[in-house]
Amino acid sequence: MTSKTDSNPIPAPTSPLRRFVPPVIAAALVVALGFGLFRSSNGQVGGPLVGKPAPAFTLQTLNGGTLSLASLKGRPVVLNFWASWCVPCREEAPVLRDLSEKQAANGLAVVGVVFSDKNLKAVNSFVQEYALAYPSLLDPQLNTSIAYGVSGVPETFFIDKTGVVRGYDQGGLTRERLTAGLAKIGVVY
Amino acid sequence: MEAACGPWLVACRHSLSSSVSSALMGLSHRLRATGYTLLVALWLLNPAALAQNISQPSPNPSGGISAGGASVRALSPAQETRAQAIGRTIRCPVCQGLPITESPSDLSQQMLRELREQVGAGQDADQITGYFAARYGDTVLLDPPRRGANLLLWLGPLAAALVGGGWLLGNVRSRGKLAPAQSIENQSDELDADDLENAPDEYLAQVKAEVRDSERSRAPSPAQPAHGRTP
Repeated sequence: MTSKTDSNPIPAPTSPLRRFVPPVIAAALVVALGFGLFRSSNGQVGGPLVGKPAPAFTLQTLNGGTLSLASLKGRPVVLNFWASWCVPCREEAPVLRDLSEKQAANGLAVVGVVFSDKNLKAVNSFVQEYALAYPSLLDPQLNTSIAYGVSGVPETFFIDKTGVVRGYDQGGLTRERLTAGLAKIGVVY
Repeated sequence: MEAACGPWLVACRHSLSSSVSSALMGLSHRLRATGYTLLVALWLLNPAALAQNISQPSPNPSGGISAGGASVRALSPAQETRAQAIGRTIRCPVCQGLPITESPSDLSQQMLRELREQVGAGQDADQITGYFAARYGDTVLLDPPRRGANLLLWLGPLAAALVGGGWLLGNVRSRGKLAPAQSIENQSDELDADDLENAPDEYLAQVKAEVRDSERSRAPSPAQPAHGRTP
């Protein structure tokens, strides 16, 4: 009978590799997820258009005039897509207004494009509320929005003097993020 | 997110709750394969998925913009079929996983209009999808190109299946090896039982043998009476 207790199967010792593989996989996933989640904290993501020529446009202003990107050639441009129904746009509007007032003398052009907003009354009251002195363009067909790959607002493109997109920002701009974007088109702010 | 929805609050809430319920449904399937986990990780790494702070207009159920696309030329039925087929591979940027052909949003309608124009101008599918991908990134394509980091999307599940399959096979084999060892042990158990069962048989045999002997000794041998009767 003693031989019977000896013949009991003894669990094979698990190799260290086997023991460490699951925690390593789990840790790698956590790192990947964390990287993905926190990477965008500053909103500066490399948009597909960065490094490419800015798509041309000619759009109507709120006042009934027209403005084309070609007419701004030779000047750095901050192109901001916004809508009156967008809350982050309200937060960044004063920042952009300050920029347009302080940098106009240096040749910087701030241009707004109204995205997917059919309520003209709300658009006009937005402009008045934040005393936006820079032009806001209407894009009723959304052609320009599509040309810039805009899917939500606010989105801001930093275009250099030669008409090439150098920076891109999603979400409400803060002064720091604005400064970072402007640095890419050679504007010190 | 709700704050960013503004007047679209109800629609945003609706889309949020639907996404939450679909996420829960997904959870109920328990995402067994590592491939799925990898896909989730890749989705989270995707810049488009990170746009938490971005307001998106909800799809407008009333349909396209005020019929402004007057310049769209009429397409032949074959061209229209091609346009629809290409449109089905392009994601509506303001929806959740819908192709532009199925989305009523203004943006999708306009994108479809531009796509039709390009089909009418004789552009091929690669040129058209390339046009949208250059603006919105590869995330706008429902059938992402099999190159670069996207290969992970295609090869990840395959690798997971291979690794998982290998592990499963190894596990099954190691159990197979364990099973014969166990059967030997069972045999030894049976032997022990046999010994126990054999033990009474020995006694039985002994008893039988003794009974046989005693019967033999009791029974009169045919020779003895003859001898007894002999004078």
